[in-house]
Amino acid sequence: MNTDLMVNGQAQRLDADPRTTLLDALRNYLHLMGTKKGCDHGQCGACTVLVNGRRINSCLTLACMHDGDEIVTIEGIGGPDDLSALQQAFIAHDGFQCGYCTPGQICSATAMLDEIAAGWASHATKNVASLPGLTVEEISERMSGNLCRCSAYPNIIDAILEVAAGKEQS
Amino acid sequence: MTSHIKMDERVERDRLAEMVQAVIGKPLDRPEGALKVSGAAPYAMDRLPANACHGVLVRATVSNGTLRDMDVDAVQALPGIRAIIADDRLLRNPAQGMAGEAPIQGPKDIAYFGQPIALVVAETFEQARHGAQALKLRFEADGTAIVAPDDPKADIETPEDEQDSTGDLDAAMQTARHTVDAHYTTPGHVSAAMEPHASIAEWNGDRLTLYGSYQMLRFNRAELADALGIEEKQVRILAPYVGGGFGSKLGIGPEAVAAALAAKALGVPVAVAMSRQQVFESVMRRSETDQHIRLAADEQGRLIGIGHEALVSNLPGEEFSEPVTQATPFLYQGDHRVIGHRIARVHRTCAGSVRAPGEAVGLTALEIALDELAAASGIDPVKLRLINIPQKDPSQDIPFSSHMLAEALEEGAKRFDWDRRRSEPGAVRDGEWLIGMGMASAARVNMLIESKARVTLNANGTGTVETDMTDIGTGTYTVLSQIAGEMLGLPMDSVETLLGDTAYPPASGSGGSFGAASNGTAVLLACEEIRQQLCERLDCDMQGLTLKDGHAIVGNRRIALPEILDGSRLVGEGHVEPGKAEETVRQATYGSYFAEVAVNAITGETRLRRMLGVFAAGRILNPKTARSQCLGGMTFGIGMALTEELIHDPRDGHIVNRDFAEYHLPVNADVPQIDVVLLDERDAWANPLQAKGIGELGICGAAASIVNAIYNATGIRIRDLPATLDKIIDGLQSRTD
Amino acid sequence: MSEGRYLRPQRLDEAVDALKGGGWNLVAGGTDHYPARVVEQRPEDILDLTGLTDLRGIGEFPDHFRIGALTRWTDLIEAPLPGWFDGLKQAAREVGGVQIQNRGTIAGNLCNASPAADGVPALLSLDASVELASAGGVRILPLADFILGNRKTARRPHELMTAILTPKPARPARARFLKLGARRYLVISIVMVAGLLEVEEGRVAGARLAVGSCSAGAQRLPALEAALTGQPADAGLAMLATPEHLAGLSPIDDIRADAGYRRDAALILVRRCLADLGGLR
Repeated sequence: MNTDLMVNGQAQRLDADPRTTLLDALRNYLHLMGTKKGCDHGQCGACTVLVNGRRINSCLTLACMHDGDEIVTIEGIGGPDDLSALQQAFIAHDGFQCGYCTPGQICSATAMLDEIAAGWASHATKNVASLPGLTVEEISERMSGNLCRCSAYPNIIDAILEVAAGKEQS
Repeated sequence: MTSHIKMDERVERDRLAEMVQAVIGKPLDRPEGALKVSGAAPYAMDRLPANACHGVLVRATVSNGTLRDMDVDAVQALPGIRAIIADDRLLRNPAQGMAGEAPIQGPKDIAYFGQPIALVVAETFEQARHGAQALKLRFEADGTAIVAPDDPKADIETPEDEQDSTGDLDAAMQTARHTVDAHYTTPGHVSAAMEPHASIAEWNGDRLTLYGSYQMLRFNRAELADALGIEEKQVRILAPYVGGGFGSKLGIGPEAVAAALAAKALGVPVAVAMSRQQVFESVMRRSETDQHIRLAADEQGRLIGIGHEALVSNLPGEEFSEPVTQATPFLYQGDHRVIGHRIARVHRTCAGSVRAPGEAVGLTALEIALDELAAASGIDPVKLRLINIPQKDPSQDIPFSSHMLAEALEEGAKRFDWDRRRSEPGAVRDGEWLIGMGMASAARVNMLIESKARVTLNANGTGTVETDMTDIGTGTYTVLSQIAGEMLGLPMDSVETLLGDTAYPPASGSGGSFGAASNGTAVLLACEEIRQQLCERLDCDMQGLTLKDGHAIVGNRRIALPEILDGSRLVGEGHVEPGKAEETVRQATYGSYFAEVAVNAITGETRLRRMLGVFAAGRILNPKTARSQCLGGMTFGIGMALTEELIHDPRDGHIVNRDFAEYHLPVNADVPQIDVVLLDERDAWANPLQAKGIGELGICGAAASIVNAIYNATGIRIRDLPATLDKIIDGLQSRTD
Repeated sequence: MSEGRYLRPQRLDEAVDALKGGGWNLVAGGTDHYPARVVEQRPEDILDLTGLTDLRGIGEFPDHFRIGALTRWTDLIEAPLPGWFDGLKQAAREVGGVQIQNRGTIAGNLCNASPAADGVPALLSLDASVELASAGGVRILPLADFILGNRKTARRPHELMTAILTPKPARPARARFLKLGARRYLVISIVMVAGLLEVEEGRVAGARLAVGSCSAGAQRLPALEAALTGQPADAGLAMLATPEHLAGLSPIDDIRADAGYRRDAALILVRRCLADLGGLR
């Protein structure tokens, strides 16, 4: 069946089995290999992409359910020669080792900085009514949907803190 | 053309220190970083050819028996199905590390629940998955399967060469002023690399190309060829990017052989990725352990006896068994010693290497026992370790190559404000949280494995390193480029390192923390060969040659490398082999861990507040990537201490928690901003780099520091890992009852 | 069986009409559908509800709030709602990771009916009802009557949940949710407790408490609720909770915890919840 997607700003028509997840559609049909399959179960976050500006696990949703949706994958965030500030900070702080969970971490962190800017509370936010602060604890909680077995967690936090501080200044 | 060294003795001369490019030892960024953060680094499944078929493995649902029949016809009739592969060459389980030959083959004889028995191949992944789920199987189960190592009917092996005894430990225990005599248990663990095992196989005539996710390509090539019954030279494996290994990708796995068989049968490329559940069920687990530890000490806390006897498990027919006591013979002094090792044969998923096989669990138990001795004797845990550091390997009576355990303990204690710790348990409270501090020693044997590398100094003055070594996140790309850059006087952007292709010279592969030192040495030797050739061209001796920033400096001349090369290129090969140094001295790495926990007095939840690791591993080639390796190891330790535990069904041994929702890896919020300190050390016995392995040191004993901190916080001694909240609350309640 | 049917109705009547035929796998957020699909065969015919955009959103009415069945956890977290929704909001923030909260729906959590469903205790404490639509009309069931057991609900095959209805408390109310798991986050709960207190003149005028993961479905604690009513609304409420109040729970031993621990932990969490709601912590 046909599904029309807007992927990284480009219109794409997908012709796939309705059982195809958005993750498998991106990889096997649209040949965007940056989004990774770590568990195919919504338990690791390696497949995180942005759909209409929100981060979701692309393994947990069927491609055909996204007719007309705007999808941003790691390829849309920045290529090797055109890295975003967050991608550069991940390199500088060694926010990865094997690199497999990294596209998902960066998609997730990109969305998270927007969520914090919009003032959404998280589980770690002390007071539900107040604006969240950019503490280690707050970021750590919000990034806990993305597993990293190499455990670059402390470095990921440092990378995000650096970019968030830069955003606050500008 | 090849520079060779066999490590028979010390290498006094520190060649890297004589160089002037000043890139070695610097915290440089990973050269492949831009590819990884942009999703452009190609892992195995990212190479999917447009015409590839997809295969999905089918698993056994009995733990011991025979596959009698499967309803192939019904599945063949489904849309898109191309083949059902149930070839006798399919693997029972992955090969063990460095096997170099196929493991047990044949899908009909079932040895464990989850064993791959067939591959369903279809045009799309969705069709193949559906076919695999629809395939009806008929097993004849053998009802007598033993699935638990503590089953009284379990067959227990006691290999003679793995038992050791000196002195009279029983007598020492009788006369000692302070003793510890306890059992410690650790559950099974999994590597849980984020990239599931995956292979794409493509044949060109009788030649096979496999894009895989493997750690040790030269061995994997031999294993794959052996499994398929073809020559090694017919096989090429590529794995330039590997999404984590931690031991799980040491040996060729069932998916690789299945993909190769299917691709051959169909004449098209076939891609097979294991599901996460399949990785849990059919890739190596770390054996559970039951460890009996006895410590005997005199009035001052000096150890006079150490006993460490372990029971582990594995499938029938597997040679590997978790070397639990590996560090016990040399870590602490004591004249009376017993080392024991027993293996229960059980029908559970194959046991194999998971990060730091041996010390990861063995040292953890030993270091909890040391803490018990500290508590029993009233001696500070740091001091207790300091006074028990031997002057030489007490079991083999050979010197240590280098040894910085004392420095690591002292440095860690100072940085962690250890002197603020209250020695009596339960003394510090913060609201409903009990606060405690704990520590442990770190130790891991150091190894060198035969490796080759080729370095080319190209006509344009750039360098290229080639080896079939892998980078599984360890930083191989970075450190090999740094070594070549240092030796050839090239800035980092003038060096390219190419890895993960069996077309390149065979390397050690990634495992046992030996990768950087073994392959780094091969690269250093290859560069020496090139330097020699440059000397010949410049008519100078090696002493007189300085290489820096792409120029040679000889006497008062400074010449750009392209000018010297004059359109040609220079190629050097390096080859390193282990030698007598392995027996002449005891080589190991050391360190210390310090942890502070808060334990909720009401619910028993543990929160790790602070953690510090101090490590000495010879020359640190790159402190940024080395630190990351230590963070990773320590986080494995956090999981081991608090949450990670494979659970087997008592009836058929199947793994109950076979996904990330139920097998609890630490998440970001479980891990504090860990501190890592790397001590400055050189080990001239190790290799010409004077560097040692660091990839596993960070896990070896880490969990003990947390468990010991829980004791300091609460007075509850956890001897059965992980220290989950229900065990702690039981202890808290029985203390108040 | 091959690809199966796929239908994405745009209007409720189309969806209800399609359901008459039966055999559909209903998918809204999809966060529970796909994990089940990976490990076992499932009906392939998918009725995709995401086109029913009218069912997404939260509306306020004179005596109740109406949470559309397609409302996602994140929608709830972001919505400006009265304080008595704080417990439900706290639960929302612990449903998987943010990636799941952005996709998963509240109605899906109820229809999936896992004993560990994070949304159920808080909705029980809100005295919620569910609205079910079919070709034959609409019926409303109290949530406690909707969830029948482990993954069992009163939804008939031709019915579709369209909304969750929560009455406005008669008096000023406060709410809280607590969850205990084996790690800090991204974890299936061992025990959950949700509580709502209505307070008047410093005394408890009404109380609703519910415990999850300790029985086949989350359960209210009526005896405790009765004991709390009329008591001074302070942290001392915590000590009114006794093991007998939890006697109706039937926790099981599983790989996350054993029954005894669950029972102990449930009491601890109930006391914590009451201490919090009492307002002195």
